[in-house]
Amino acid sequence: MPPEPAAASPTAAFADEQTVAALRAGDERVFREVFARSYATMKRVARTYVASEAVAEEIVQETWMAIVTGIDRFEGRSALATWMFSILTNQAKSHNARERRAVPFSCVAPRAADEPAVNPDRFQTDDDAWPGHWATPPRPWQKPDRRLLSLEARDRLKAALAELPDRQRLIVGLRDVEGHSAEEVCELLDLSQENQRVLLHRGRSRLRAILEEYLDPADV
Amino acid sequence: MHDLPHSPHNGHAASEFDVPQDEVTCQQFVELVTEYFEGALHGRTLSQVEEHLVMCDWCVTYVEQMQATIASLGGLQEDRRVEPSGPVLAALRARRSGGA
Repeated sequence: MPPEPAAASPTAAFADEQTVAALRAGDERVFREVFARSYATMKRVARTYVASEAVAEEIVQETWMAIVTGIDRFEGRSALATWMFSILTNQAKSHNARERRAVPFSCVAPRAADEPAVNPDRFQTDDDAWPGHWATPPRPWQKPDRRLLSLEARDRLKAALAELPDRQRLIVGLRDVEGHSAEEVCELLDLSQENQRVLLHRGRSRLRAILEEYLDPADV
Repeated sequence: MHDLPHSPHNGHAASEFDVPQDEVTCQQFVELVTEYFEGALHGRTLSQVEEHLVMCDWCVTYVEQMQATIASLGGLQEDRRVEPSGPVLAALRARRSGGA
């Protein structure tokens, strides 16, 4: 099993009521803590709607402006994070209307054949002895353990992540980089568990293939 | 490309075991890895995946590569500390002075 990343709820550390009361009272310490905890996640979500990191950063600040000035309107009918992210999404969408169109999450089609995890050429065909089994199997990497990737491999992975399709980049970013649970991601993005897994699977599989090209170039 | 292996599973000649009809292939296995990690497999499919891992060293390597990929992604978290903008802080402070 993969290591389970530490849970990092966007508003964790404080209960919703505590956070809301603190924001209403203008408590800067709590505000800065929640801001810092949610920043990367908010930016990743915003980034799927707009074309640049810089605009995504602007949207996060605008969202916080709306949260701080509008916190009195939060009635506690949903989780605070859900409310915050619906503001974020609305802010991002209004920018997006001027930039480009995002494909809604409901369009995810769970068809592996469209985008196989591994190049089909790597498997034996019906004419071979063991159809569907490895023809060119993966070879163990030289100890690419946690944080032991060379700087160059890390940059490579980072670039590959940035180049994933929007929704895959978002899901892999929230799950594997920021350490959110599947439940948190599905709730924040109003996404089904199944669609979340399909996007995660495609994204992770593609990144594995890119790391393999880098770490074991002779084999691919 | 390597030569085609004689058996799908390292270290076993084909005659050592008969592959049951409903065994998953490596190509099917790699599509089930995320669901396996996520605990989303149940019943027969889960046993098929677990049985496959017992027999297939290559797919064990594949699983290890996926785990290494996930762990490496965890190392990409940015530690750059971004500050709230001046206007946002001003709006917060205005709340404190009762002006919001």
